[in-house]
Amino acid sequence: MFSLLISLVILFLLDLFLGSVQIPFHSILNILTNTVNEKESWQIIILNNRLPKALAAILCGAALSVSGLQMQTLFRNPLAGPYILGISAGAGLGVAIFIMGLSMFGISANSLSFFGSYGIVISSFIGSLLVLLILLASIYRLKDMMTVLILGIMLGSITTAFISIIQYFSYDSQLKSFIMWTMGNLNSISNTQLLVISPFLILGLVWSFLISKQLNLYLLGEDYAKTLGLNVKNFQLTVVVITALLTGLVTAYCGPIGFIGIIVPHLSRMLSKTSNHKILIPLSILIGINVLLFADIISILPNSDTILPINAITSFIGIPIIIWIIFKNKRITNVG
Amino acid sequence: MESLIHISGLTIGYNKCTVVKNMTTSFNSGELICIIGRNGEGKSTLIKTLCRLIPPISGSISVKNNDLFKLADKDFANLISVVLTSKITITNISVKEFVAFGRYPYTNWLGKLTEEDEIQVETAVEMCGINSLTNRDFSSLSDGEKQKVNIARAIAQNTPIIILDEPTAHLDLVNNMEIFKLLKVLANDYNKTIIFSTHYIELALQLADKICLVNNESCHCDTPKNTVDSKKIDQLFDKKTVKYNAVNNSFEFIF
Repeated sequence: MFSLLISLVILFLLDLFLGSVQIPFHSILNILTNTVNEKESWQIIILNNRLPKALAAILCGAALSVSGLQMQTLFRNPLAGPYILGISAGAGLGVAIFIMGLSMFGISANSLSFFGSYGIVISSFIGSLLVLLILLASIYRLKDMMTVLILGIMLGSITTAFISIIQYFSYDSQLKSFIMWTMGNLNSISNTQLLVISPFLILGLVWSFLISKQLNLYLLGEDYAKTLGLNVKNFQLTVVVITALLTGLVTAYCGPIGFIGIIVPHLSRMLSKTSNHKILIPLSILIGINVLLFADIISILPNSDTILPINAITSFIGIPIIIWIIFKNKRITNVG
Repeated sequence: MESLIHISGLTIGYNKCTVVKNMTTSFNSGELICIIGRNGEGKSTLIKTLCRLIPPISGSISVKNNDLFKLADKDFANLISVVLTSKITITNISVKEFVAFGRYPYTNWLGKLTEEDEIQVETAVEMCGINSLTNRDFSSLSDGEKQKVNIARAIAQNTPIIILDEPTAHLDLVNNMEIFKLLKVLANDYNKTIIFSTHYIELALQLADKICLVNNESCHCDTPKNTVDSKKIDQLFDKKTVKYNAVNNSFEFIF
């Protein structure tokens, strides 16, 4: 746990240090601590570009990992992740309609000045909210969580079908900006936006920790949880709301960032050898932050001007880890 | 004496498909109650209704004069502990932690065990004779060991009523008898009401204070002696293969 904290700090500083413009390390520290006046261009690069990006990596890493962990517990499925319920697909549809669909009706997205900066965020959030509402309604109606899971996957598929229709009829430039969104981007978030979402993300993370006792009990299965005094329906709703809050916000600002939410819970289980969420949640937060900072560092390709899409990097890191877990354990069904 | 559990006019089943009709009986503290009957006659349905996992079609169950289905979740967990047949797939958890799940209704939001909780867990572990297992991983245990650990969990919950659904299915004879004996001790010495379903009719007839015989959409509850004398047992079987010998308390083939 302690070494993870140290590596987190190192990765954070490295993330600030590396980039297309070389800035000496002591200058970065000076800018951060605001002691000595450094070059203004450097200040802008650090404070308006690299710092929000690194902070975004921290918040997203933590949020996606914890919601992935909760989904794996809720569905007792090792391959569940934050996007399993179709939340990212819903967000995707919202964004697709915003970027590409509006022009079909003769409205140019650029002409809506207010939407210019917040349009993607708002449309994505509305999209994931709609999926969430359908899910909440279905949890009340359906008995079995597995049915809800299947419904989530179906919702995701139909949403993707809508998206592809919109894509088919849209212009190249719009198509490109939508594809860019789906590749994930930690860069697009500004300092003010960070200030807006971080309280909500922290709320979600703290809330998850507060229900860790319930999450533990839920591992025994729904029936046992009921007989041991857990209000199962309320609990399931709570978990879905927390996950939607965490994932919905992250996806709205940074696009759907894959694999973090699936691998990090497995890594924390393997490291701690426990199913206790009181330990797994803080550990997932730490590991999630480390992994996403690491992915971000790789994506900047030090000493070059190019930034690779973050989603490609998380897949490059994530898939080998999943395969390694499969071969090491022979099975990854030890979710509990 | 006021009865602990009172069942009146209870009709149970799934989705309007009735399994047992119009059952009325009551259970007292310190009684060992066995539910017997053929496969598919509704033993599990009865158990699940008593654990309030499925609602009854009609009729009522009251525990300590409270309607079972109107109890708050926490109050239910303080009255009744449950051992089901559903497979528990939890991994990476020690036996002791597993038994401590029984303290869930009593612990604070962090699930921190107090001294009292520790004592209850310790006692439950002692009673089930699983001291040697406490540091093992739950998923590494054999079926029989898992069952004992799960019963220890129910005991740690420290409720006046324990309900078990076929606690000895899949177990060998020794494990089976150990668990039956443990249940008897819990009822006799600790004044708990134990309700469990089983296919081991001979053992049930030897040990139980009350037999609930589920057959042909009805549930008949009586002492083992009356159940045997009234020839109710014989109704369970077709007359071509099995015969119940009341003198030896055993089943015999008919060829």
